Amino acid sequence: MAGLYAAMSYGLALIYGVLKIINLANAGFLMLGAYVTWWLFTSYHIHPLLAPLLIVPAFFLFGWALERTLVRRVLSAEPIISLLLLFGVWLVLQNLAYVIWTGDTRSIETPFVEATVNAGGLQLAVPRLYVFAMGALVLIALQLFLTRTYLGRAIRATAQDRDAARLVGVDVDRVMGIAFGIGIALAGFGGSLLSLLFSFTPDFGRALSLKSFCIVVLGGLDSIVGVAFGSLALALAEAFGVRYMPASLQNLISFVVLVVVLIALPRGIVGTVRALRRG
Amino acid sequence: MGKPVAYAVVAIVALSAVPFVAPRSEYAIEVLFLIFLYGAMATAWNLLGGFAGQVSFGHAAFLGIGAYATTIMIANGVSLWVAVPVSALLAGLYSLVIGIPAFRLRGPYFSIATIGIGEATRLIALNWTSLTGGASGLTLAGAPPLVQQYFAALALLVAAVGLAAWIRSSRFGYALAAVRQDTDAAETLGVATTVTKTQALFLSACILGVAGSVYALHYLFISPDSVFGFSTSISLVIMPIIGGLGTVTGPLIGAVVYTFIREQFAATLANVDLLAFGVLLIAIVVFEPRGILGIADRVRGMRRARPPAGADA
Amino acid sequence: MPDPLLEGRGLTKRFGGLVAVNAVDIAVERGEILGLIGPNGAGKSTLFRLIAGVMHPTAGSVRFAGRAITGRSAHDVCVAGIAVTHQIVRPFREMSVVDNVMIGAFFGHRPRPRGRARARATAMEALAVCDLADRAATPARALTLGGQKRLEIARALATRPEVLLLDEVLAGLNPTETDRTLDLVRAIRERGTTIVMVEHNLRAVRGLCSRIVVLVEGRKIVEGDPQTVLTDERVVSAYLGTSAHA
Repeated sequence: MAGLYAAMSYGLALIYGVLKIINLANAGFLMLGAYVTWWLFTSYHIHPLLAPLLIVPAFFLFGWALERTLVRRVLSAEPIISLLLLFGVWLVLQNLAYVIWTGDTRSIETPFVEATVNAGGLQLAVPRLYVFAMGALVLIALQLFLTRTYLGRAIRATAQDRDAARLVGVDVDRVMGIAFGIGIALAGFGGSLLSLLFSFTPDFGRALSLKSFCIVVLGGLDSIVGVAFGSLALALAEAFGVRYMPASLQNLISFVVLVVVLIALPRGIVGTVRALRRG
Repeated sequence: MGKPVAYAVVAIVALSAVPFVAPRSEYAIEVLFLIFLYGAMATAWNLLGGFAGQVSFGHAAFLGIGAYATTIMIANGVSLWVAVPVSALLAGLYSLVIGIPAFRLRGPYFSIATIGIGEATRLIALNWTSLTGGASGLTLAGAPPLVQQYFAALALLVAAVGLAAWIRSSRFGYALAAVRQDTDAAETLGVATTVTKTQALFLSACILGVAGSVYALHYLFISPDSVFGFSTSISLVIMPIIGGLGTVTGPLIGAVVYTFIREQFAATLANVDLLAFGVLLIAIVVFEPRGILGIADRVRGMRRARPPAGADA
Repeated sequence: MPDPLLEGRGLTKRFGGLVAVNAVDIAVERGEILGLIGPNGAGKSTLFRLIAGVMHPTAGSVRFAGRAITGRSAHDVCVAGIAVTHQIVRPFREMSVVDNVMIGAFFGHRPRPRGRARARATAMEALAVCDLADRAATPARALTLGGQKRLEIARALATRPEVLLLDEVLAGLNPTETDRTLDLVRAIRERGTTIVMVEHNLRAVRGLCSRIVVLVEGRKIVEGDPQTVLTDERVVSAYLGTSAHA
């Protein structure tokens, strides 16, 4: 679960880091990623594992265009305005999905999805292993991109100090568009992975997105490595919680963790550790 | 001051006459009832979200508590006159329980926490089967006549809008406006900002608690997904924004638009209405964050700017 | 010697590993204008925030009019009689000028005024002192920077403070506005309000302040009358040091 949680939260952290807005539409893009994967599979027989090859660039373009046309206009307004805008985007995506695909539960069934491997006596589901590996892989790729490439460094510079980045010649407007695009692409990718593990409806993603918020806040809102830690922490908390209460309350755990973490550790685990180390 | 009050009195008298003038147009009465109920709910949300600038995505919690409290009490033989105020108070108390920690958070963080709070509340209601009946919900035996409901909802709306109008011009209203525009600056000028926000939340929750009572008595059936549902919270956010965030009449205008759009699409496709609201929300936020009232202001401004016919040299 | 009106002892504020304010003792006598100077990043604004309750000190205490006010929230401190202006102006942009000041009048003083009329009267008085009475109905966002700086002062005055903490009220003003604001500060002192001002304009500080405290890298290095302090070798080198960087 941790890998999955991480994959769906990176985009949120990236967008917050660079644009300083909270992508409330993240749930919508996760859901859309899952549906597009399902639609490509059922209509065009494209294997679900290949779907990200189409989804990632398409979602990147969509996110980039969204930033150019709408998000950009509200960046200078109060933070609540951008939150409401992205809330509107979420509403549109979710209900568009209801109109197009109806509210029926969908799932992807392929031999791959049901495969298991035997590892030292443990039956492990292949898709889960795959999703975990992908979550880790994306983390590494993202870290390399952010630290080794010019564009990645420009993104990090913009996240740290927009004005300073502009002064040293970074095209901040362009960087923000690209970062938003990458964030949306990551959400789509996360959604595509999710479709391998769960059945889904257009409402799918709300609970998961809340978990993303929880993770990102746990990890510190703009730290990619923090996201990985946050994912692990939440997955563990849920796994332990389920032993002591009914499974139907599993989601409750993440909401309670979300609220408690928001209030108790507003700087997240990484931020708190950093502060403690310095202090 | 005098003029709006006069308009309000005329409107109240006219609306009170509707059930007597047209007693058989049940549909019209039903629609007006819904507008009153939604208008009161939107006005309540706006006290916190508009006046104090604390956008909550979890306000269905208070409607749900009011609705469940009323249903459970009435099913157990408690009088309506006791059940309604107790429901309001329970919703208010719940708001204090969640508000005191949640208001340690600022702006967007508060908003995200409210999504979590709203969902957590729904899940509790869903799983506390012994009290709430779980997913199958609760039913009530008999509803009061529609005309009584009509007047109850109208009274609630008048009370809510009246309260909003009074707050607007009071010291409390000044505190809320200061909190909305710059919480830190307000604090250094002596405004106890957390107390102020908590008071707004409490009032908002109490009104929604009463709205929950009205809701329960109208529909006679409640379930966690209806009253505690996220879509209820969404509608509470949408209405004031459509009409005009932080204004007295905006939420009411928003409720009218909301109810009409919903009634229009109710017969056709499900979710098309929410799609329309999403588009409307995006358009308003990007182009005119002051909603319909803001658009009206602009139109008026344009008319004033245009020279009167024949006056040009 | 009587107790000072406002006194900070051993005030310290750490942010992670950075010590922004380091064991600063500061005493403000009733009726004086105390200048607080130092290079950028010396901790002047942080010290103000510690006194005003906007931030709470890591160590040390604040006493005001004989009572400990350490750890009280900002609104409590304001009501107790210490008002602060913000270095970067923070008007309530959507409100009119008079409404801005009415916030201070309504909430910044106990007993609270009864009714809008009383609050408005207090606000108009503060606006008159700050030369803004004719702009009362203007939206705050429409004022010039100089106007917004005076609005900051008017809002603080409307809370009827005993001590007014002014954070760089002259920064960014043209010479005419600067002179106007200096006259205003003098007028406020004449009305019996004690003033502490953070200021970079050393000429203004010399002309206005009865005493000066110099902070460098979070520590108080010198304190005394303007003539002595401004010619002190350590102060001169601290300032030259920063201007060499700039």
